[in-house]
Amino acid sequence: MSTRALPWIIKYRPKRIAEVVDQEQAKKLFIPWLQQWLKGRPPEKKAALFYGPAGCGKTSLVEAAAHEYNLELIEMNASDFRRKEDIERIAKVAATQMSLFGRKKIILLDEVDGISGTADKGGLDAILELINHTKHPIVMTANDPWDQKLKPLRDAALMVPFNRLPEHAVIEVLRRICNAEGIYCESEALTIIAKRSEGDLRSAINDLQAIAEGYGKVTKELAESLVVSRDREYNPFETLRALFTSKYAWQAKRAISHSNLDYDTLLQWINENIPLQYSDPEDVWRAYEALAKADVYYGRIWKTISWDLLAYVFDMAGPGVALSRKKSKFRWVKYQFPQKILLMARTKEAREVREALAAHLASHLHTSKATVKNDVIPFLMVIFRHRPDYAARIAIGYNLTERMIKYLAGPAASEVLEHVRKLMLRIEKPTPITARTTKPSTQTTPTTTTTTATTSVTTSTSTRTYRTRRVTSRRRTSKGTKTSSGRQTTLF
Amino acid sequence: MSSQMAELLWAEKYRPKSLDEIVNQEEIVKRLKKFVKEKNMPHLLFVGPPGTGKTTAAHALAHDLYGENYRQYMLELNASDERGIDTIRTKVKEFARSKTPSDVPFKIVLLDEADNMTADAQQALRRLMEMYTATTRFILIANYPSKIIEPIQSRCAVFRFTPLKKEDVVARLKWICEQEGCQYDEEALAVIYELSEGDMRRAINILQAAAALGKVTVDVVYKVVGLAKPHEVREMIKLALDGRFMEARNKLRELMINYGLSGIDVIKQIHREIFSSEFKLPEDVRVLIADYAGEVQFRLVEGADDEIQLNAFLAWLTLLGKKLKAARK
Repeated sequence: MSTRALPWIIKYRPKRIAEVVDQEQAKKLFIPWLQQWLKGRPPEKKAALFYGPAGCGKTSLVEAAAHEYNLELIEMNASDFRRKEDIERIAKVAATQMSLFGRKKIILLDEVDGISGTADKGGLDAILELINHTKHPIVMTANDPWDQKLKPLRDAALMVPFNRLPEHAVIEVLRRICNAEGIYCESEALTIIAKRSEGDLRSAINDLQAIAEGYGKVTKELAESLVVSRDREYNPFETLRALFTSKYAWQAKRAISHSNLDYDTLLQWINENIPLQYSDPEDVWRAYEALAKADVYYGRIWKTISWDLLAYVFDMAGPGVALSRKKSKFRWVKYQFPQKILLMARTKEAREVREALAAHLASHLHTSKATVKNDVIPFLMVIFRHRPDYAARIAIGYNLTERMIKYLAGPAASEVLEHVRKLMLRIEKPTPITARTTKPSTQTTPTTTTTTATTSVTTSTSTRTYRTRRVTSRRRTSKGTKTSSGRQTTLF
Repeated sequence: MSSQMAELLWAEKYRPKSLDEIVNQEEIVKRLKKFVKEKNMPHLLFVGPPGTGKTTAAHALAHDLYGENYRQYMLELNASDERGIDTIRTKVKEFARSKTPSDVPFKIVLLDEADNMTADAQQALRRLMEMYTATTRFILIANYPSKIIEPIQSRCAVFRFTPLKKEDVVARLKWICEQEGCQYDEEALAVIYELSEGDMRRAINILQAAAALGKVTVDVVYKVVGLAKPHEVREMIKLALDGRFMEARNKLRELMINYGLSGIDVIKQIHREIFSSEFKLPEDVRVLIADYAGEVQFRLVEGADDEIQLNAFLAWLTLLGKKLKAARK
């Protein structure tokens, strides 16, 4: 069997206590305690509790000690601590009977802080019972031993603290592994891996292996792109970096499933950055087609409410996109925020106005909003941008709001608005028209066509309307403009 | 042009109000007038291409039945704007309860773009039609009769609106020009007819925009249409085929965001462009592109993301362009 198949954290786990990096304080507490056991004089505290952050060598020290002193390691994980009977059956036997071959034993109860108070009812009592009756050393490990429920264990055990590994210690181990594997590696790369591991040697070794096996070398660039901190979600940039540098399907899937983005946004991020990352047109197309499939599956989730399909979204958006790279060389790119999201936000107002305008005109023209958007608004835009004076009359005719006029006229907006203002000034009204006017305009419009009379601007109540003025103008245009100027100036 | 203060879109301003004003579709008008005379009619289904007078005929019919204030006896719905059959059902229910006309024994529900409804929604619509048949008549309007389910078709008197003849459209445009007092070249009106593909509404829109710019000449007509329908889609295809994917993608964004086109609008336009002589493409390649466009449109109809799907399409076009170039060498 190829040695590559073996995880390095197993292949290179320490066989002797001295090989366990750092943690001198822990060794100083643990070794004498263990030696007392071996000399047949069990110490007062029959258990030891190793505590400290993940990947700093707690389990490794137990394993190394077992190896060094030729002890039979009996291991139980917190996940096995489900019920009292389990513990009693396995651990009690180990604690009371002599080994067949006369080998001494050491019992490892891993991750005892994983026991939850209620779900593992009786689990803690069983452990305490075990500690009381044990004939073999018991080592427990925990990341956080300070939970109230663990107090009885703390009292019954020798407390052995483990510290976060210093960077140089992690680098040292990584270098040793690289040498043993005969792999080209840059020290800067090891530093990056070590830094990101935050003292977690296990994750550092895993990262090293991922890069080394994927690329046959460990360079600074690869390290930067691949190594992401564990136990937290990836930000969008990390997600993309991890995705686009994935060599294996599992890496790409991990990149996707660890992302802190919602699925819609995630797809948009990939959508934005495929052509930045890939240079070969065929790769670009393959990646887009995979993403498009992911998008189709995603749509079907919503259509059928079957979240089972999410796995396929991940498959296509992850490995599908990542493994599309055949000819493009990996390059270092600055990933971009999805422009679509930016543009949508920036153009939100314009789109709302267009929607309101389409609804408004659709009711006049007896057609759908889509037809208005496709067949009417484009021509109105031509008129509004080229003939402000004529446009102003249409604006009055349809009671368009200032926002609608601005949308239609674009750069010519101020001209159109100016014409509207002028036209309004020429209108003389029979009754004072101010904000006090509460009479619905439709009732004052016997002369207008029925179609225009029954509809009015729907967008917002604060928009200025011209309807009443327009109607009065029809009645009274001949009467001149004298009386109107004062009030009209308040129009805009 | 007239010197009124307020102006309307000519498509509205010059829409015939009564059946008498409708100059074409003689057979249909004759039958509809009979309904008015008898003050009775079955459910009606108007089918035909856009801009051939279906909606106008429905309004004119209601106008002639109920008089000037006909709109209080007609509920106008547009299937593509309503949010599903449930809102339609609610509106019809409320409307059926409202005041009835004095001398006509029914009110009218006008449902435009009925062929945009799913088969299921149409089944529900059919039940609605039966439920309120004592007090209401439905006029359904559709572009494609084949998209209306059989049970509805069999319950309606079907009226087929034929594409408008060139003489009819040109005569109408000429008449509008005279009403508005605007100058025009005969030739320009013929060009408008060609560009509007027999769609009267579109023809009138073009005419109005052209008249706003000055005398209606062939050049002005082309200018207006060019301004209103920018060549962005064509340019986008060109860019992609030319290997400039990123620029094509930017064009796509411009189209969708600045011009407010939906992904479906864009892919439909692409489909139209693909067969234009603007593109020097082998004929079999055109078919290939159309096939892919069809797939994209299907995905979009299914609810997929506009940009992602169209980007995938553009990426494919880019690759295709590259292969075509290589083959030519």
